[in-house]
Amino acid sequence: MSIPLLETRALSRHYPGGVRALDEVDLRIGKGEFVAIVGRSGSGKSTFLNIVGGLDAPSGGSVSIHGRMLDYSDRRALIAFRRQMVGFVFQQFNLIPSLTASENVEYPLLFNYRPPAERQEKARQLLAMVGLGDRASHYPGQLSGGEQQRVAIARALVADSPLILADEPTGNLDSQTSEGIFSLLQRLNRERQVTLLVVTHERELASYADRTVEMRDGRVVA
Amino acid sequence: MNSRLAEFFQLAVRQLFRRKFRVILTIAGIAIGVAALVGTVALGEGIRTQAVDAIRTQSDLTLIEALPGAQGNILQLVTPTRAAAAGALPGVKASAPVVRGTFATRGQTYVQVVGVPADGLEDVLHPTYLRGSGFLSGSNEVVLGAALGEKLQRYEGVRIGDPLILIRRSYDAQGRPFDEETTVIPVGVMEERGDAFDQVLLMDLDLAIGLGEGESGYSGLLIRAEGPDRVFSVAEGVRGIGLSPRGSFEQIEAVNRMMDMVVIFLGIFAGLSLLVGGLMIASTMITSVYERTREIGIAMAVGASEGDVMEMILAECAVLGFIGGMAGDLLGVLFATVLNALGGPFLASRFGDAFAGLLDTEIALVTWPQLTAGLLLAVGLSLLAGLYPAWKASRLNPVEAIRSGR
Repeated sequence: MSIPLLETRALSRHYPGGVRALDEVDLRIGKGEFVAIVGRSGSGKSTFLNIVGGLDAPSGGSVSIHGRMLDYSDRRALIAFRRQMVGFVFQQFNLIPSLTASENVEYPLLFNYRPPAERQEKARQLLAMVGLGDRASHYPGQLSGGEQQRVAIARALVADSPLILADEPTGNLDSQTSEGIFSLLQRLNRERQVTLLVVTHERELASYADRTVEMRDGRVVA
Repeated sequence: MNSRLAEFFQLAVRQLFRRKFRVILTIAGIAIGVAALVGTVALGEGIRTQAVDAIRTQSDLTLIEALPGAQGNILQLVTPTRAAAAGALPGVKASAPVVRGTFATRGQTYVQVVGVPADGLEDVLHPTYLRGSGFLSGSNEVVLGAALGEKLQRYEGVRIGDPLILIRRSYDAQGRPFDEETTVIPVGVMEERGDAFDQVLLMDLDLAIGLGEGESGYSGLLIRAEGPDRVFSVAEGVRGIGLSPRGSFEQIEAVNRMMDMVVIFLGIFAGLSLLVGGLMIASTMITSVYERTREIGIAMAVGASEGDVMEMILAECAVLGFIGGMAGDLLGVLFATVLNALGGPFLASRFGDAFAGLLDTEIALVTWPQLTAGLLLAVGLSLLAGLYPAWKASRLNPVEAIRSGR
């Protein structure tokens, strides 16, 4: 098998008091794959996503992207990793309320030192792609939950990161809207060849993914 | 300024706009502090300027008298060498040595006599005459100061051209006193100058020396500086050659020293209110960071570095400080304007003629350096106040920050 986009080896995360949120997780995800991680609440799905995304550090094991091991002790390298390699989609949408949809989408590029004109054009294209071309100047408070999550997906794509991490992206949405979001994610995966790692506790939605990984008690069980 | 920083400032303005009421209160705190500082300094500067102007107009500022000085325990006499050195100092227009002595008239009026060369009288003292004119070199003619002239005329009937007998008391080898009389002719009475020369009798230097004055060297050296702006450097030069400069400039130095103290003292109190404004900014920003914990976590998740987060928070502080500083400057100018419009008439009406001069003058003087300093101080203090909240924000754990729900 060629070098995977993402590979974790014996990835562990222990918390004081002996809690093992992650327990030696080995996982390989190829470029362009759409992988759903399912499992009950507390199974370690979000912890796994946070560590893979460079937001949290593991207690043991390693994470490699394109065969290069991520150094969690190097803060600069972690920041650069978050800027260029990953895009996040959160359950709570996590848009900045004082920024318009367009400005929220271009927000990550502000930290990538991209010129405003380029950022605005990119945001415009991505909003059109997620079906919100006419909502660019709306503030998050003026958008529905599904629309806010679409804006968040556009934001995750704006830096052309090869890996998109989505943590319960439909956790706050009704079933019809959730279908729409997963359908959008699937389309993006196919059209843009972006690698998707999506955490969900809904198995029906996981069926949109190419592969499903089940976690239980901090371990991959299937 | 790079465009990214400019965008941080734009974001800062929008973030502040979200919390209008709290921000307005904070800005008011800073503005009041800056206004108090600008107003205090303006008042101090106004009083200082008035006092200095009064000294300048009422006295002969560019006239300096160099007297024997002391270096350690050694008296530095006004020797011809030092007189020449002082005369050659940069900024000196003219100089003339003087000798001083005390005489009495037959009417028992004590007279301070100053011997000065005839050309020195004109070049250095620039006298204008109420009556008569200056004395001739080598003559026994004398010129009277305004106050002395009036006194001698009123009590002894001395007029221009009338002989005046001066009595000098000396002591013989056995210590017995004896009086020597000299007749001089007053040929001029100077107009009032507002300084010590109003009380003296001026005569030719050689005549004074002939009367026994200046046996141990010159009493002093009169120096005319080229202009008011050169006075202080000339005085410094005089000190440099071991002599002690005296003149109206000392009053200005004293006023400046006193006003420096007053302004510093008042400035400390005004600065305290500015400090309170700074604390308000710190409080506002700490609350803001607390309320926006999740937003800061999101920024970190999408690629903001610790430095970016600090810059964003400090940009908000700078905006607060800038707006507060501008508002404070405006308030300060308003305060000075009101004070200048109402303060003079109020003082004049309450305290009478002594303050009548304030009717058409500026009690408070606002200058651009004061306003600039007020603004810079507000921005600097705001940045300082924002350092801790900014640092705290930059140290947030992104995962916990996003989970915080705030």
